[in-house]
Amino acid sequence: MSKEVFSQISPSEFFYRNRDLAGFSNPTRSLYTSVREFVENALDACDHKKILPDIHLSIKAVDPEQADPKHYILTVKDNGPGIDPEHIPLAFGTVLYGSKFGLKQARGMFGLGATMAILYGQITTNKPVTVKSCSDGKTLDEFVMLLDIQKNKPVIQKHTTKEGSKTGLAVSIVLEGDYSKAGSKIRDYVYQTSLITPYASITFEDPSGEKFHYARIVKDMPRPPTVIKPHPHGIDVETIRRMITDTHYQIPTIDNKMIDKIKKELSLKKNISPKEILERAQKRWSDISRPVRTVISVMSFLNIDFEGLKKIRIDDLDVANKTITYWDFGESQSHAVELNPDSPYYKQLASTVQGDTLLTFLTKRFQRVGPTTAEKFCEFAKFKPDKRIGSMTNEELVKLADALQKFEEFLAPDPSCLAPLGEEPLSKGIMKFFNPEFAAVWQRNASAYSGFPFIVEMGIAYGGDIPPNGLKVYRFANRIPLLYDEGSDVVLKIVNETEWARYKIKGDPPLVVVSHICSTRIPYKTVGKENVADRPELERELKNALQYLARKLAVHMSRQGAADMAKKRANLYSKYVPLIAQFATELAGKKKEPNYNQLIRMGSEIEEQV
Amino acid sequence: MRLKNKSNAKTAEARKKRLLSMLEQQGLNIYENLDKGKFPQFVIPSRSVSNIVYDKKIRQYILGSASAVRSSRNMSQLRSYTQLAWLAFFVNRLVREGKSSTLRDIYYSSQAFSIDFEDQPESDNIIVDLEAVLTSPREEFHIFPEERSSVFGDLTIEYTVPGYEGKRMNLSDHPDGYLIGPSLSSAELVDTSAELVIAIEKGGLFTRFVEEKVHKKFKAIIVDTAGQAPRSTRNLLRRLNNEMGLPVVILADGDVYGEHIAMVIKSGSANAAHLRELTVPDAKWLGVWATDIEKYKLPTIPMTESDIKRIYDLQKDPRYQEGNWKKQLEVFLKLKRKAELEAFSKYGLTNITDKYLPAKLEESKSF
Repeated sequence: MSKEVFSQISPSEFFYRNRDLAGFSNPTRSLYTSVREFVENALDACDHKKILPDIHLSIKAVDPEQADPKHYILTVKDNGPGIDPEHIPLAFGTVLYGSKFGLKQARGMFGLGATMAILYGQITTNKPVTVKSCSDGKTLDEFVMLLDIQKNKPVIQKHTTKEGSKTGLAVSIVLEGDYSKAGSKIRDYVYQTSLITPYASITFEDPSGEKFHYARIVKDMPRPPTVIKPHPHGIDVETIRRMITDTHYQIPTIDNKMIDKIKKELSLKKNISPKEILERAQKRWSDISRPVRTVISVMSFLNIDFEGLKKIRIDDLDVANKTITYWDFGESQSHAVELNPDSPYYKQLASTVQGDTLLTFLTKRFQRVGPTTAEKFCEFAKFKPDKRIGSMTNEELVKLADALQKFEEFLAPDPSCLAPLGEEPLSKGIMKFFNPEFAAVWQRNASAYSGFPFIVEMGIAYGGDIPPNGLKVYRFANRIPLLYDEGSDVVLKIVNETEWARYKIKGDPPLVVVSHICSTRIPYKTVGKENVADRPELERELKNALQYLARKLAVHMSRQGAADMAKKRANLYSKYVPLIAQFATELAGKKKEPNYNQLIRMGSEIEEQV
Repeated sequence: MRLKNKSNAKTAEARKKRLLSMLEQQGLNIYENLDKGKFPQFVIPSRSVSNIVYDKKIRQYILGSASAVRSSRNMSQLRSYTQLAWLAFFVNRLVREGKSSTLRDIYYSSQAFSIDFEDQPESDNIIVDLEAVLTSPREEFHIFPEERSSVFGDLTIEYTVPGYEGKRMNLSDHPDGYLIGPSLSSAELVDTSAELVIAIEKGGLFTRFVEEKVHKKFKAIIVDTAGQAPRSTRNLLRRLNNEMGLPVVILADGDVYGEHIAMVIKSGSANAAHLRELTVPDAKWLGVWATDIEKYKLPTIPMTESDIKRIYDLQKDPRYQEGNWKKQLEVFLKLKRKAELEAFSKYGLTNITDKYLPAKLEESKSF
């Protein structure tokens, strides 16, 4: 019989074994994903510090003569805040080290992708990553390092320091890629990223040396997102359990350190009796800290003074049986003491152990829940508002989580954690990119699905420089272009379901739709994060946005249509009536042509006959 | 006995006068409308299928009373209105100056006047429109198709085309025959010794007939229709019948298309329902009949699906509802096989002229 061996693997090793999931399945996809990860990290870093981004991306073949797939040097340079030199080895040399934890909108999650790219490069070429960073505007640190996959630890090969002048970060890796196949997607990615990031200047130098430069179009950065509390609709039982543990206050161990703290807070110079201590504490109850209040409360029941106490640990506080059990380290013995429910200290202890009341919990720990809403909810969920959350059984927690999902009177999630681009920058980007004859943009009000807030921004552009090749849809989520898996995307679904003929759009129109979904959690269909699922709430918002814009377009089209028609009429009558006159004159055997000017004018003015 | 045509010299001149007067009338009408600030328009008899009816009395297809208005007021008709006005203007020049043109030539001539036809079918259509407006065939406009069929036999003609006025010519002088073109079509028919006109579908057999001296043996004028007879050929056949008093007989392939070639010469086509003077109501279809295929044991080939479909189509045509026309269609449908005129060469190259033709001519006296 074989014996199973269980061993732990490091996060690096886990990602190495599952790199397909992260978008590193083949040289084509890997090159594209690496570009994305580094560019998005650079943009996020600039956004975070409100720096107008200047991004330089370059891809160079190590040996241009070789056939694809081959080794490429990928370099992304930004003008962001840089990274403190002491964090660089960990940030780029370990997996799961990042700063992007928290509930707000960001392009990437946790900054894992960049490390994956470094890992992929190392696996395929055995070449180190080079990181140059300047975070203070004075010194430039350069690290050359490898990743120890088993130990999830950076191995620094070289670290040099020299004088720097501007903050920023440059990361360079060598990886196996296939530019001949990935090139068009990468160029699309850079193009579309520039469209949705009009406040950035982006330069891309491709392996042939061709430069694609997208200049900054707007100088104002969109409002940055804030970190916020969760919405009741967006949580599950496990989240509630974690939130309750956070609120739950442990009765601290009473030892010399704690006694000193109490003495300090109560300004006790010399030993006084427990009774006197309590009296003094009563007087300044609201000024003293919570741990001290708790300890004082416990002391009131134990009736021992500080002199006779070495160290005690409270083991249990049984509210139902009104007893407190503690372990005395000095005596090495457990004691049980009865609690007097009439004592003012009883309430203090009970609330400490059982946590906040449900009412307080709801108003304090969730966004946009006030006392009125909280009370209504308690009624709805059939909980007493003063029920202590610490006293809830497992069944009650499930019931609570369920009710939080079902209660419909909560206000919509707070969208302040979202960072839409804004109508003006979006509009300017569209005007610059497509130079259209008509354009309109609309930012919908914030909405939510399952407690996650989202905002839909959409733009539509027609004519001008747009080629008449039919409708083209540019999809973005959290300012990232979505390029793959177009077919199954909710935006495409909405666009395709639209009866464009109703909006006077026919054939292969020169038409562009730009859709941007911002959310703390984009409901992606797959791990590849390229297509958005058709959540009904999201679908409704997209549909409303598109219909609104399509109606505006239709107004433009009919105005344009009428103007075109009038112009066409005028042209036709000016061309043909003189000809008819010429022919008729000769046919009729006349010398002088008839006066046909009146007819040209009339012809140009008649309404189209139905 | 030689026949002499007397009335024709005047009719050609009269027809020209009538045409020019109609054109002038159209011109005046347009001119006055323009001057008064009114939108001029043409009234064109409708040529849609629903307006084409068979007139039993004159034994040809004619247009019903429905007509369409092409108005310069309607923007979508303005272009084709102008095209029609231009064509009237251009025809006026052609007729006045005695010049000829072809369908293709019209298409190209339009470009000099900023009248852009998209393609020749479009200009061909406008020509048919003008025919309908003026109820005159395009040959009177001096517009001819490119395809030309031929004629051979003892027939003296007198040209009316400029430069040849009064010049005479006998159509038996050249064994290849004479093209039925603008000059021949506008010529006066003067004199003939023939007693019969034989219209034959194919050039090859036309040559054979000349070689075999059919024109002498049968005192005939031989006309090669080159498939479906062009209008100028049908017009010539009609004039030979009308003006010279010659009976017309037709020989075509032994299939449904051959039968219809004969029918069109006899009673016109739906395409030309707006025109008269193109039919020979007394013309006789000699063959090859479906019954001849069995009777003369001709080698055959199977009909195609489109042949069979054509039979079903023609069975709906009012002219095929009775007599031999109806019977032959039914036999063709039963046989589902067809025979070409050349099939007779199985029995010798001269079999068709020595045996078949005399037999059929004899037979034709009884129908």
